[in-house]
Amino acid sequence: MEKRKIKLSRRQFLQAAAAAGVLAGTGGAMAFVRQTPARAAAGEPELKYVRTTCSPNCTGACGMKAIVENGQIKAIVQAADYPEPEYNPRGCLKGLSMLNLIYGPDRLKKPLVRSGQPGKGEFKEASWQEALDYSAGRLKEIADKYGPESIGVIFQVGGTGYVHKGAVIALATLAGWSLHHPYDQNGDLPMFWPMTFGVQTEELEPLEWLNSRYVAVFGSNILATRLPDAHFLVEARNRGAKLVVFDPNYSPTAGKADEWVQINPSSDAAVGLGLARVIIEEKLYDEDFLKTYTDFPLLVRLDNGKRLKAEEVKGLSKPDGVPSYREVYVAYNRQFLSVHPEKLELPLDVVLEGELEVELKDGQKVSVKPGFQLLRESLKEYTPDKVEKLAGIPQDKLVRLAREMAAAKPLHLVYGASNYQWYHGDLKGRALALIPVLTGNIGKSGAGISTYAGQYRVRLKVAQWWVPQGKKQNWLPWLYVLHGPTKNMKANWPKHGLKALITGWGNPFDQHNMANKLRQMVEKGELEFVATMDFQMTTSCQYSDVVLPAVSWYEKTELVGSPVHPYLQLQQQAIKPLYEGKPELWIARELARRLNPEFEKHFFPDLDAEAAAEKAIELMLRTGGPSVEGITLEQLKKGPVRVKSEVPGNRQIPFYEQIAHKKPFPPVSIPAKIEQTAQFVKSGRIEFYKDEDLMLQLGEALPVHKPPFEESEYALDPTVRDKYKFSYITRNAIYRVHSTHSNNVWMNELQDGKPRVWLNPQDAEEKGIKEGDWVEVYNNRGSLHAFAVLDPGAGRNVAVFEQGWWSRYLNGESFNSLTYPFIKPTHEIYFVPGMWAPNTAWNECLCDVRKAGDTK
Amino acid sequence: MRLGMVIDLDRCIGCRSCAVACKAHNAQPPGTWWNRVFTPGSEEHQVAVGTNGHLQMNFLPVSCQMCDNAPCEKVCPAGATYTDERGVVLVDYERCIGCRYCIAACPYGVRQFNWEDPHQAKERVGYQEGYEYGYPGDYRDQDGRLVYTPNRPLGVVEKCTFCVQYTSKGEQPACVRACPSKARIFGDLDDPDSEVSRLIQERQAFRLKEELGTSPKVFYLPPTKPSR
Ligand code: SF4
Ligand code: SF4
Ligand code: SF4
Repeated sequence: MEKRKIKLSRRQFLQAAAAAGVLAGTGGAMAFVRQTPARAAAGEPELKYVRTTCSPNCTGACGMKAIVENGQIKAIVQAADYPEPEYNPRGCLKGLSMLNLIYGPDRLKKPLVRSGQPGKGEFKEASWQEALDYSAGRLKEIADKYGPESIGVIFQVGGTGYVHKGAVIALATLAGWSLHHPYDQNGDLPMFWPMTFGVQTEELEPLEWLNSRYVAVFGSNILATRLPDAHFLVEARNRGAKLVVFDPNYSPTAGKADEWVQINPSSDAAVGLGLARVIIEEKLYDEDFLKTYTDFPLLVRLDNGKRLKAEEVKGLSKPDGVPSYREVYVAYNRQFLSVHPEKLELPLDVVLEGELEVELKDGQKVSVKPGFQLLRESLKEYTPDKVEKLAGIPQDKLVRLAREMAAAKPLHLVYGASNYQWYHGDLKGRALALIPVLTGNIGKSGAGISTYAGQYRVRLKVAQWWVPQGKKQNWLPWLYVLHGPTKNMKANWPKHGLKALITGWGNPFDQHNMANKLRQMVEKGELEFVATMDFQMTTSCQYSDVVLPAVSWYEKTELVGSPVHPYLQLQQQAIKPLYEGKPELWIARELARRLNPEFEKHFFPDLDAEAAAEKAIELMLRTGGPSVEGITLEQLKKGPVRVKSEVPGNRQIPFYEQIAHKKPFPPVSIPAKIEQTAQFVKSGRIEFYKDEDLMLQLGEALPVHKPPFEESEYALDPTVRDKYKFSYITRNAIYRVHSTHSNNVWMNELQDGKPRVWLNPQDAEEKGIKEGDWVEVYNNRGSLHAFAVLDPGAGRNVAVFEQGWWSRYLNGESFNSLTYPFIKPTHEIYFVPGMWAPNTAWNECLCDVRKAGDTK
Repeated sequence: MRLGMVIDLDRCIGCRSCAVACKAHNAQPPGTWWNRVFTPGSEEHQVAVGTNGHLQMNFLPVSCQMCDNAPCEKVCPAGATYTDERGVVLVDYERCIGCRYCIAACPYGVRQFNWEDPHQAKERVGYQEGYEYGYPGDYRDQDGRLVYTPNRPLGVVEKCTFCVQYTSKGEQPACVRACPSKARIFGDLDDPDSEVSRLIQERQAFRLKEELGTSPKVFYLPPTKPSR
């Protein structure tokens, strides 16, 4: 056969490409990327590109372009339009296969009203009018009977969608319903942050990873959980940073590391304290930094364990103008000094060590020691050989790692959720935070400690849209719903408990702690009404009384600004809502009108949902404060805009202002007021010594290592000590964003449709389990079936399940039927929603594993 | 011009985004994957390989290797498989007779057969009525050969085309655009200054089953960190 060959030289090719308007720079010898769609040649489909933002609950916030033809999304490509080329392209396999959800079989088409028994998933179709009237009627009845605070609202995390989530929050605020803060509900709130730094949580933006010289990852699998940013870790390493991963299990992230340090489950605090001990004993710490920014020079009374206050000391007094949420403490440099909590200035000759006697106003003399001295004493026990016993790290390795970390600047620690989602997760964070603080690695480029779990933060002031007329909001930590009220709780418990639930953007009947308990609450009629807004028929819809069909994020206008990614972006409507789906703002407005005609005013009643959403965005930009100052909707329509910060180049470097400009701790955590969070660190400094009564009682004034299960599982039921020897760990897979994409046909093809549990091969052998066996993971609360994967990288005595599967893939079981809502008393000392609140310790869960029968 | 691809296994994080983008843009029906990502040495993706704490985990994306000396082309009795002027191995869906010799001949196992009408296969998933994903137009080469169409006929063989519908217009292949780790680099192997040529030179590139003499135009950079 003759082949006619048309040869195009490289030059000709490039010319042709340029002529078609397709050659616009990405650098490199062959720049191919098309920035503007080429004119459609004859026979070529006419494609429209709509720039929007993928924003499920993963913190990715990846800029995407939908390729639209004839009103259908044909494919999705990364927008790759961030000004810093390092951020391009952001995205992952889930975002790129979103069309399977948008057009998939689980899409809700019409409003549904329950027709069968509660929880049976039997519905009849209804008109919007009927469904909304019915919902509003039921909500009114319940509010009249039990009080509006008996109606709970789950909205998941605000930063993924300020407009529509804000609308639902605003409605809840107007109606007086209870809000469940997602950050503590999801167990993502790392309590060491408010305890140590007085903030909700902070993190370096991933671009900053490139500036680190040493990256120590504790219990975070960035290669699975932060797909768009994982490359920065590899690049940082290739630029010369040492990458060390501390994890009981060998993960993909460990695979990219210079060193994987296998530790025992829940032993991170021992590691941190052991490292800190070496740094202190070998005097590798930054003394000036400690004196200037931490509570280490502050004196502690030995008689009662409390910090010495200036007002107690003879000859000292509280300076004027100190806000009431602060406290004035005392340091010593040949004389006792009042330490102003709003000024990070102490003479550098203050003492960090020793014991002193001080005369109080009443003439009493008491012994005091600086916090640093107490820390040093308490670290004495964490010798390398003790740490080896607790954590399994060989002694010489621990010492070497401590020296390396102390020598490398900038040093960055990643404090991951598998490390902290334990009962004593806060102690681990406090212990690990010692390392960057002792070495002065805070507030600087490429340095610090970061948490990359949970889309917790709002990036701008949202009150004008979220909190109509500044009305007081009711916040109820979710753990109390499962656990029941406690004696010490600071949040308000609704008099009749929770009687109704309104849910959006979440799937609590699969995903939340003790999902089975929630199911029982529906089945037994304790929850008298559940309404769910979603665009898909999730397990939670099945347990609802009313299902309101919402839309996916390709069908509406929204504002996105998540914590990990420093850009503010829009979701722009790529296609019209499918079926009878409606954006949540519209749903909230319709409910508002039915509950009280006055309420409707807040939601731009004269505008259609898209126009109203734009108005809400403009309102938030106008009133959002310094982080969005000058940013306009028009700008955002053109592309992503970096959120403003105090750091040069608007980079996201936590505590930059505190360190560079000596502003007191904490920086503001929006939306809390400074007086709410400053009370966590009354000294205005980084605090390692916590003198609240409960901290003293529990022996947690300073960070210590406490073994898992003693105060949780064994305290709840001593018999489990011998019964259940395995830890049940639920981790994220690359195939799901929690339960979103559980039903994505391609994701399931990539996993052969099989939920899996990872086991150590030796453990499996002892249990008679072979690769691929159908096994049961169980305890006395619940059970789960999955296929066994024997992983030589799995630690001993752990059963690792990749979370997020809908029950329908798990024989109707919820993988969260094994967990328990433990509440650690120290998490109830203060209450600021999502900032200091009890939160789920997913991994604090014992289980056993056995080969299951043949039923699949 | 000889189009080729470099896949940097040091950068590859095994996320499979490339496989998914490939599937979407090229309208592959359920069960068909032109592009797969493996964890060499392990049956299961992202499971460590090794014993006694000496573990490793690497990833290997595999699609058509675009062999210069393509066994699939040689065995095709219908002349359906051919190499175009840019060195891209393509299948003319109108000529393929479905004998599947090429599937047997390909040492890399990347060719897929349409056992089922793709419309039917997609219908089983239950997409909204009338919904079709993938690049929506046909693409014919200069000789009129049909080398891309969103729904390949029942009974033909298909595989990676280096996204002929895009790259013929100077755009990047879907997998390259999709890779969040920028592990995939596409370009002209004939141009000594191209990034692909430069990387092959500098980084000890290797090819899969080099010993077979297929001479692939997909090159891999080793998964070890590059010396600086
Ligand atoms: S799912 Fe998350 S990480 Fe993936 S593309 Fe969407 S936002 Fe990005
Ligand atoms: S990889 Fe297989 S299909 Fe591709 S050119 Fe080589 S032999 Fe042909
Ligand atoms: S998209 Fe890139 S990083 Fe992910 S598997 Fe493919 S080549 Fe590897």
